[in-house]
Amino acid sequence: MLKKLSLKIVLLLVLLIVLNFVYKTWFYESDLQKNAELINLVRAVPNDADIVYIGESSNITFRGDDIDKRPISAFIGDYFPGLKTYDITKPASHAGIYKVLLENIPVESKVKTIVVTLNLRSFDAQWIYSNLETSLQKSLVLIKPYPPLFNRFLLSFKVFDIKSDSERVKEYRAKWAEDEFHMPGNFQFRNVIEWDRWMSNNGIKDSNGNYDLPQTDLACHFIKSFGFQLDTLKNPRISDFNAIIELARKRNWNLVFNLLAENTGKAGELVGNDLTDLMNENVQILENYYSRKGVVVVNNLNQVGNDQFVDQNWTTEHYAELGRRTVAKNVALALKHWYGDFYKEVHCDSRYQTSFFNDCDKGIIWGQMQTLTTDMAHSGEKSSMTGAGNDYSITFEYPLKVIPDSLKKTINVEFWLHQPSLNHDAKLVIQASGQGFHDYWNGYDIKSIVKDINVWARYNISISVPDSIKQADLIKIYVLNQSKEKIYIDDFKILVRD
Amino acid sequence: MLFNSIEFIIFLPIVISLFFLIPHRFRWILLLAASYYFYMCWKVEYIFLIVFSTLIDYFCGIFMEKFHEKRFKLPILLVSLISNLGLLFFFKYYNFASENLNLLFDKIGIQQDIPLMNFLLPVGISFYTFQTLSYSIDVYFGRQKAEKHLGYFALYVSFFPQLVAGPIERFSRLTPQLKEKHLFSYDNLVNGLRLIIFGFFIKMVIADNLSGIVDEIYAAPEKFSSLEILKGLLFYSFQIYSDFSGYSLIAIGSARIMGIRLMDNFNTPYLAKNISEFWQRWHISLSTWFRDYLYFPLGGNRVAKTRWVFNILVVFVVSGVWHGANWTFLIWGALFGVIYLIESALNKLLKIEREYTPYSFGHISLAVKTFIIVTFIWVFFRSQSFAEAINIFKLLYNNIGFAGAKLIIPGYLWVFFLTFIASDFLLYNKRFDVWLGNVPAIGRWTVYGFLIFSIIVYAGIENFPFIYFQF
Repeated sequence: MLKKLSLKIVLLLVLLIVLNFVYKTWFYESDLQKNAELINLVRAVPNDADIVYIGESSNITFRGDDIDKRPISAFIGDYFPGLKTYDITKPASHAGIYKVLLENIPVESKVKTIVVTLNLRSFDAQWIYSNLETSLQKSLVLIKPYPPLFNRFLLSFKVFDIKSDSERVKEYRAKWAEDEFHMPGNFQFRNVIEWDRWMSNNGIKDSNGNYDLPQTDLACHFIKSFGFQLDTLKNPRISDFNAIIELARKRNWNLVFNLLAENTGKAGELVGNDLTDLMNENVQILENYYSRKGVVVVNNLNQVGNDQFVDQNWTTEHYAELGRRTVAKNVALALKHWYGDFYKEVHCDSRYQTSFFNDCDKGIIWGQMQTLTTDMAHSGEKSSMTGAGNDYSITFEYPLKVIPDSLKKTINVEFWLHQPSLNHDAKLVIQASGQGFHDYWNGYDIKSIVKDINVWARYNISISVPDSIKQADLIKIYVLNQSKEKIYIDDFKILVRD
Repeated sequence: MLFNSIEFIIFLPIVISLFFLIPHRFRWILLLAASYYFYMCWKVEYIFLIVFSTLIDYFCGIFMEKFHEKRFKLPILLVSLISNLGLLFFFKYYNFASENLNLLFDKIGIQQDIPLMNFLLPVGISFYTFQTLSYSIDVYFGRQKAEKHLGYFALYVSFFPQLVAGPIERFSRLTPQLKEKHLFSYDNLVNGLRLIIFGFFIKMVIADNLSGIVDEIYAAPEKFSSLEILKGLLFYSFQIYSDFSGYSLIAIGSARIMGIRLMDNFNTPYLAKNISEFWQRWHISLSTWFRDYLYFPLGGNRVAKTRWVFNILVVFVVSGVWHGANWTFLIWGALFGVIYLIESALNKLLKIEREYTPYSFGHISLAVKTFIIVTFIWVFFRSQSFAEAINIFKLLYNNIGFAGAKLIIPGYLWVFFLTFIASDFLLYNKRFDVWLGNVPAIGRWTVYGFLIFSIIVYAGIENFPFIYFQF
């Protein structure tokens, strides 16, 4: 019987190996696109990237009146024009998610440095047991470092943190009740539930002495988001970051933890020093803990003022342009440690912008947005299609005259291009117009620079800005293709340089 | 712990390995501990309900056996009945009864508000209370000797493969098997695994994929044309069948590996020629329970015709209410009863039902007729309220030709769906493990490959628990 059983087990193993091959070859990719779409975020990072910034919505959220709406990662890139900086941004994610995404950076990638967003709020029970976890964890199962069929097995048998919303609420409320404060002096609350209840009952008073509901709500959110004492032994987020450190060690990456700014000004105003002291203490614990492990920790906690927080009735780390630039600058200064030779001071003035990027996916509005298509993409899902009747690609438009002359000597244009053949006459066009000077138009041949066909290839050109257009009311940059060949353009980057 | 979870995939081999490794005299302890653990994975405190039910019936059995005269036994039986049915009523029907009484009071102008309770229905309570009740009733009638070993009795009540959704086993069938010394058997292992794999396939690939489509229809039926709604009803018939029969197969297969044979719970019910036969093939352990412990005590068919009609209706209505505390279940049961009676009358009158060769035109025609009736009756089972069910029927009529939303049914789902229907034809009056055992090795391994691959790659990945867990 033992022989018979052994034979069947061997047969079963062979069957599973064959099934794994079948799944990997014909089913895995479509399953990834259906159930683990976030793998595309990692795939969008080219193998020759130098710096990868990984974060959540704090990286990409901007305020409507920002002149420069680019993410923090792009601002960091401005300090290192000679390096290739890319980002992996997944809203609502945290270190547990980053770890799995980073594991998927191919071993052949030349990435040297990883900047990981460290969000203090993500150490709080409400985030740890957030109702977003089920879908986040589910989206990671297929990209775990196991054979594809085994990953699919884990997904089918729901081997991920799967809980209902009410179960999650129960979990974080239990944690809040369980974690008692050990504070010096006579701190009047036993745990965050008592603190929150007290705030809710007493409330914030407006100038007339009336209960101010929105401000009280915000105060309660601050208490629930930051009213905890960090335990480096028990907090699961600590081990997530430790796993990232371990991974960085294995992959020989430089590691920076970008500890995000919080609205400590507002928190202090509404709740008082007890909370801000607690926030600072927790950050100190994190800084000491990870510095000891050899990670460069950039402490931004108190670096952004209240006016730069986009959400004035919530505790999110969403900054307006100046806030994002501040965080970026602090990270860039830390990166000088490895890239001192590449570092270049950025002239930051919120009245103008010198660097522009459109990946065709994130809703940044340029001209000719109707040319966006999901036919193919270099990153994300969309690119801009020109040709076959669509003469113009997405079109960059900007009042060039707002940039000081000393900072606009050169325009560097870079984009990714997919062309089916070289039977076209597509051109990169720079066009300028304005009152009091002759319209300017110049086209630069594309196929003379990029000859690769049927693959995504990078087009890069630096053009001296003629004096005649420096005071242009409007400069337009686009690809003009009047042929029948369809050409796709993606990840359009423009840098106005001194 | 759900069967279709990694916890169970780990739990089952551990329990089975230990079962064969430890001496026979300790096995009941292992199985009892495993069963309690299995139940406590869902909600720890509700294990006390099982323990309570176990102790009540254990002692009732022992005390009843001490008396020979029924008049002395009866009060003890009543203790068992009141305790078990009281527990069931309290957890399952209290809120339903309160809501309806409040409505009634409101209508007749009485100022009385019966409070509602806010607790979770204990998983499997309808199953294990019926299982223990059958024991007490059998002891009362002298059909069963009282069990002296509390451990074995507790194991009979809580044996994990069938604890939360059956099959509802009889003491005389299950306990001797639990007491019997089972040696490891290759045949039991293989047949048990075959049943488990097929159970996973029909639960995870068929039921869980159909579930999303059915939910879509029932969430907003007014968006869809009659044809799409009909597809939804068709899919629900197969969803509930594959969901429950899949569960039963995994339960039967798990016990089978340990050498314990649980009763079959399904036998291709949609190939039944009439409602009577349908209930001989659907949830067999429950139908036979009602037959033995309700229908026969009421007099069965050895009574006057009007009484027989009454008996039939009572059994079907009670069976409906057993499923859930909602008027829809009561109507669902009653409809089965009424159609059963109509079919019986027509059959006597027209003599349309006789022995048909399987798969003959007559058989298939009658099976299709039965399936259509059952499919429409399921509307009451699936709907949350009577109004929702009636709305479905109205829309079926009103939305003829309506160009509404279209259900998105992936091609692979049609393939699996049709494969499942084909398998029902193939397995008519046969069991999957036996049928597969007779297939040549190459075919058998092809089936294994197909099932394993389908379970892993095509399982529905939303979190759909077994439908019958709610009963």
